[in-house]
Amino acid sequence: MSVRNSTRSWGSLSKALHWIIVLLIINQWVIGMRADSLPLGMAKLQALAWHKSFGITILGLAVVRLVWRLMNPVPDLSAETKPWERVLAKISHLLLYALIFALPLTGWIMSSAKNFPVSWFRLFQLPDLVAPNEALFQQMRSLHHSLFALLVVVAALHVAGALKHHFIDRNDVLRRMLPFGGVE
Amino acid sequence: MTNYVALLTAFAALFAGASSGAEPPASKPAAADPASPPAGSAARFTQAPGTGSLSFSFMQAGAENKGSFRQFATELVYDPKNPAAGSLKVTVQTASLETQDKDRNDTLAGADLFDVKKYPTAQYVANSFAKRADGQLEAIGKLTLRGVTKDLRVPLNLRPAGNDYELSGEVALRRLDFGVGQGEWQSTEWVGNDVKLQYKVPVVRVR
Repeated sequence: MSVRNSTRSWGSLSKALHWIIVLLIINQWVIGMRADSLPLGMAKLQALAWHKSFGITILGLAVVRLVWRLMNPVPDLSAETKPWERVLAKISHLLLYALIFALPLTGWIMSSAKNFPVSWFRLFQLPDLVAPNEALFQQMRSLHHSLFALLVVVAALHVAGALKHHFIDRNDVLRRMLPFGGVE
Repeated sequence: MTNYVALLTAFAALFAGASSGAEPPASKPAAADPASPPAGSAARFTQAPGTGSLSFSFMQAGAENKGSFRQFATELVYDPKNPAAGSLKVTVQTASLETQDKDRNDTLAGADLFDVKKYPTAQYVANSFAKRADGQLEAIGKLTLRGVTKDLRVPLNLRPAGNDYELSGEVALRRLDFGVGQGEWQSTEWVGNDVKLQYKVPVVRVR
């Protein structure tokens, strides 16, 4: 398996970025829900510190992923894929890319607005994006939650599409993104 | 002040001795008498109402968290000719802490941290000043915080502003030395022990 993509298959870096971000997002959801349910105390501070660190990790990986995507060919959809399916796939991919930027960024703004600066795994502190502002924090908080709900919907559509390709159309669209699967 | 006067007197005596060619100057000049009042230049200053900042910062999960006390009072006695005779008293209303986040304010004000109900004020009292080897003036005093009193030397930068001064500087202390952090907050893993205090206070001469 090549590191780079071809017009027929995803390279190892694209696959790695895809699946690592999937796992990090699930992890973010679990930690985020936990942090939200806790009163301010040591446990909440810990949960939020991890949530922020993983979130910034996702943002960094999103940058790498976007650059890599622009530097590489994108494997073709199978020839039988209908035009509406292509449009739907395009829109959902665009949204997924947008969301892996927008979710960390709204989270980062939340932290700055609440005057709880972001550190990346306690290794270095990131600059504040905005000045402390409780009203802005509340807006960003609901936006962060709404964007996550949107992510869940689009990801579900994305998974449904992949499963349709695999089980109904019986092509290799799903297989070629699996960690060790793909076309020869 | 007494040192300065003693020095001056010694110089005068030396000069007199040299010019007259008489005996060496007396080893204990009379001006060293501690009962003699200072030459009238030690002045009292107070913090101008509604001015001054007293902020604190600490590390929380690798990020610097900042806050400040909005209500505090400063009294300074200072004579530039005799800094050693200076004194400083700063009284802080602990409930006036502000970190731009209500949850954090409430947590810091709570019983496990500042416990502002039981300890509504923190106070720093210094009855003498000294110059460090590097020339930095510092107050030699005690900080009482959350019912615990400890020695603390506080660096003082006094920038003249007309007849008045702007007092500024920063000092590091450890919150757990004063019991600021009970229960789970005794841990320093996610909330650091080191706290930096920064102050900038215009003080005006009391007339």
